[in-house]
Amino acid sequence: MIKISHLKKSYGVGESKVDVLKGVDLEIGAGETVALVGKSGSGKSTLLSLMAGLDRPDSGAIMIRGKNLNQMSEKELTLFRAQNMGIVFQQFHLISTLTALENVSLPLMILHNTEAEQKARELIDEVGLSHRSGHLPSQLSGGEGQRVALARALASGPSILFADEPSGNLDEETGERVMDLMFDLVKKTKTTLILVTHDKELAKRCSRIVMLEHGSLV
Amino acid sequence: MIFNLFLIKEFKKYPFFFILISLTLLLGIFGIAGIGVVSEQVTSKLRQNAKELLTSDLVVSARRELLAEEDLSLSQIMARHPHRKYQVIDIYSMVKHVRTDQIRLVEIRCIEEGFPFYGHLSLKSGIFKTNGLYLSQDLSDLWGGQVGDEFKVGEKIFSNLGIVTKDTSQGLRGFSLAPRIYLPLSLVKDAGLLKEGSTGSYARHFRVPNFSQQDFLKLQQEILKALPDAAIRVTLPQESSEQTARVLGLLTDFMSLAALIGLILSLVGIFYLYQSHLISRLKDFCLFHLYGLSKKDIVLGVIGQFSIIFFSVVVGMSLLLIPIYEMVQSQLSSLIGMELATTLNLFELLKSMPFLYLLGVTILIPLLMGLLRTPMGAQLKAAKISLGTFRFYDFSPFFTILLSYSVYLSHSFKIGSLFFVSILLVLGVSTLVIKVTQIVFRKIFLRRPLNVYGLEIGLASRHLIHSGHKLTLSFLSLALGTTLISLVLQLDSLIQKEFTLDEKKPSLFLFDIQEEQLPDLLDFSRSFGVRLEGVTPLIRGRLDRVNGMKFTRVPENSTVRTREDEVESRTKNRGINLTYRAGLSPSEKLLEGEDFSSSKNENESLTFVSLEERFAKRMGLKLGDKITFDIQGVEIEGIVKNLREVKWTSFYPNFFVNLSPGAIDEAPKTFLAVLPKDFHHKKHAYQREIVRRFPNVSLIDVEELMLKLSSIFEKARQAIELISWLSLIIGLVILYGLSHDQVYRRYFDIALLKSLGLTAGQIRKQLIVEFGFLFILAASVGFLIGWLIAITIGIQIFKLSWSVDLYRMVVPAVSLSIMCLVTILVASWRAVAVRPRELLSDS
Repeated sequence: MIKISHLKKSYGVGESKVDVLKGVDLEIGAGETVALVGKSGSGKSTLLSLMAGLDRPDSGAIMIRGKNLNQMSEKELTLFRAQNMGIVFQQFHLISTLTALENVSLPLMILHNTEAEQKARELIDEVGLSHRSGHLPSQLSGGEGQRVALARALASGPSILFADEPSGNLDEETGERVMDLMFDLVKKTKTTLILVTHDKELAKRCSRIVMLEHGSLV
Repeated sequence: MIFNLFLIKEFKKYPFFFILISLTLLLGIFGIAGIGVVSEQVTSKLRQNAKELLTSDLVVSARRELLAEEDLSLSQIMARHPHRKYQVIDIYSMVKHVRTDQIRLVEIRCIEEGFPFYGHLSLKSGIFKTNGLYLSQDLSDLWGGQVGDEFKVGEKIFSNLGIVTKDTSQGLRGFSLAPRIYLPLSLVKDAGLLKEGSTGSYARHFRVPNFSQQDFLKLQQEILKALPDAAIRVTLPQESSEQTARVLGLLTDFMSLAALIGLILSLVGIFYLYQSHLISRLKDFCLFHLYGLSKKDIVLGVIGQFSIIFFSVVVGMSLLLIPIYEMVQSQLSSLIGMELATTLNLFELLKSMPFLYLLGVTILIPLLMGLLRTPMGAQLKAAKISLGTFRFYDFSPFFTILLSYSVYLSHSFKIGSLFFVSILLVLGVSTLVIKVTQIVFRKIFLRRPLNVYGLEIGLASRHLIHSGHKLTLSFLSLALGTTLISLVLQLDSLIQKEFTLDEKKPSLFLFDIQEEQLPDLLDFSRSFGVRLEGVTPLIRGRLDRVNGMKFTRVPENSTVRTREDEVESRTKNRGINLTYRAGLSPSEKLLEGEDFSSSKNENESLTFVSLEERFAKRMGLKLGDKITFDIQGVEIEGIVKNLREVKWTSFYPNFFVNLSPGAIDEAPKTFLAVLPKDFHHKKHAYQREIVRRFPNVSLIDVEELMLKLSSIFEKARQAIELISWLSLIIGLVILYGLSHDQVYRRYFDIALLKSLGLTAGQIRKQLIVEFGFLFILAASVGFLIGWLIAITIGIQIFKLSWSVDLYRMVVPAVSLSIMCLVTILVASWRAVAVRPRELLSDS
């Protein structure tokens, strides 16, 4: 499903240059749930951003479903990401001027799905927010916001779900409930999950834990 | 400590914010300060040269020759003080350049030995003497007149003794309507020009040695008392310079108001920038509060911070103005027609600073009140920091200062208030349009799927629906700028239209026709194949009593005077030209009361009076008032029967006061008349023949006059338009700032849209749709309001006809919208290029 070879990434130039990833090799199979763990600055979020095509590596290759992300143009990469990947962010990042339903239907509409609204309603229902579908993000609680973000990430039926500290902004109880929902949905849809977290308990729920230290896998 | 926290540390930590605020403020006050400085340079120059302008210590003048008894009274007073004197009479007459056979209306300055007591006249070569004809430089340029050329003035021919290159008594040459020649008074009389009732200004100049300013003031009062006719003016040098400055003053007042729009726009920007800054600093302020700093201290800290920025900007601007002024000083001098000082008096710049400072501080009051209302303790626990709300009345100090400043700048309650109301109108309409648009959009878009009209339009519509007051601020800054541009362009279009020669306007306007010349002139015109039209008598008189009360002179030397006060006193303190006419002329309209023909004369001794409505208003006269006129020593009693509107731009003979025929028909008079438009092709031949046969009769070439008026107006319009565009550019800069900020506030939204699969092109399209719609709407509203204000001013104040110049409305509106779109695209370029990686937790 995902094959990463000799992946390197650094930020800054000259003396302030920091090598964040120093030649990472990693393979992740379809349907696997993988937790990327490590201390702050270990490179886990950078690795996630490269795998999700949110950024470009300095060298190395990322193959997803047989396609090399590095060889894609920005436009091709954008389309590939929209069709194959979903992302959940720590800060939810819902569009403040769109309702919960519109936030969920947006990725489907970008892909010109003719049943976008219907499908979005089903997903909103699935995350238990059908009564809040017409509300704006500012009218939702943290847990509700992250559930909307989860529904949006899964809306286009991606084969991979990237989650960046998904419970980091939620209280323990709410976080747990949202994570239960995420793992249920991932299992149900047989989606590959790649999760960046500091939470050891959450990491343990994944089928594999990958540890990063100073830009390398350990 | 506060100084350290709010100034040194803040300046170090947020240099970009302080630079941006300073630049915004600099742009805002630069226009006003620049105009203020130039205006002050002119006024102080005129003040310095007051005696040279007047040419003497004291002048007694009127638009008529003094009566014998008035002359006697004046001589008796002056005999008590050793003095020297001369007379100066300024009249308009036709002059012919013999060599080139060219004829034109010229201002003839009739002078006597001793002129001028102060100041000088420089010649191209030689020394000026009061012994013959001298030509002004502009007339020499116009005709190619040389020394030795002959000129026919009245019935005589004079040889040109020299060309006057500089006359220190001529104030602002750029605004004079006719070029000047100088001729000894005795020669003018010989030429037969000064006949009974000739139009002109008659002045007696005195030089009184060893007199103090106090002595002159006393002498002025003494003469005023002895010569009670309000039409007689007694002028001292200081008042003379103020009168000259008034011409330019009106223009600079309007320019200042246009620049004030720029300042308001910059204040909108400052409000917005400070709001963003205070929100970002709120958490720190809460911590300051937690450790013992009171809210009042925090507010004072912010005010102190703004004050330092303001004063730094004033210093910076002063340093900037000096080289700029030095660069443009010579161009300005030639434009105004007066040599301005080469160095700038920066002290004058400081005069308007308190107002500007107060405007700056008061625009921050709503935010400071919001700060005072913020529950600071609770903010530290809250998930999202928010500034306390401000209320509408928090803006009232700002609006009060703005109204006062508008009146101060325009020197007019009427214009200042109109300007202020226009600002409120734009503000109110902008808010209303935004609200209505949001309601309509809710109905159109929110009930339908996001992508029903295309995803980009759907996303743009949601932003327009849910954006708060920031949207209104962007809208307002553009609408205000475009209102101003539209107002200037449309008003100019209305006035230009009025100054265009059309079928209704005459080709020549004749005046100073003596009564005995009229039959010959009518015959002569008939022989030319043309009929003299609108032949109207002109009789000089003065208002003696109203309803039995003596009509007194209005003092003109009060220190605080608005433009309305000035107009009122000028109207009251001048002689009146009257006519008698049975009905209304084609360019008059009855507004109130009844026509003479339908009025019954219950009291045979009373004559009917018809007054021009604005004249009546300034004089405080109304229907039914009994007025006693003094027509050259004979008392005539009249009753106001009607008020009428006069279309002065028709160029037909019209008067402020019309009397019913009968009572004054026998009074000494001259006549006015016009020649029709279709006479245009014979105009020059007619003028030549008139100068030959009726040398004292003067003609105004209406087309030429309109061109001159248009060119004077054009100069004024260009100056105001320049300032208006400066204001609009400030608006665009502010808009850039607002758009930039708004786009950056959507930084994560843009990154998110990209992570979801939207391309940069699609995001730009969304921004173009959103801001494009907003800008086109704001520009349309601005242009529409500007046009409405223009036609209101045009119809109400200038009595112009209603019209719309679509070209001048649509083209600037579209080009402005395009400029705004470019602005937003530039502002958003980097934000749209963001990599979605920024969304991750470690970014």
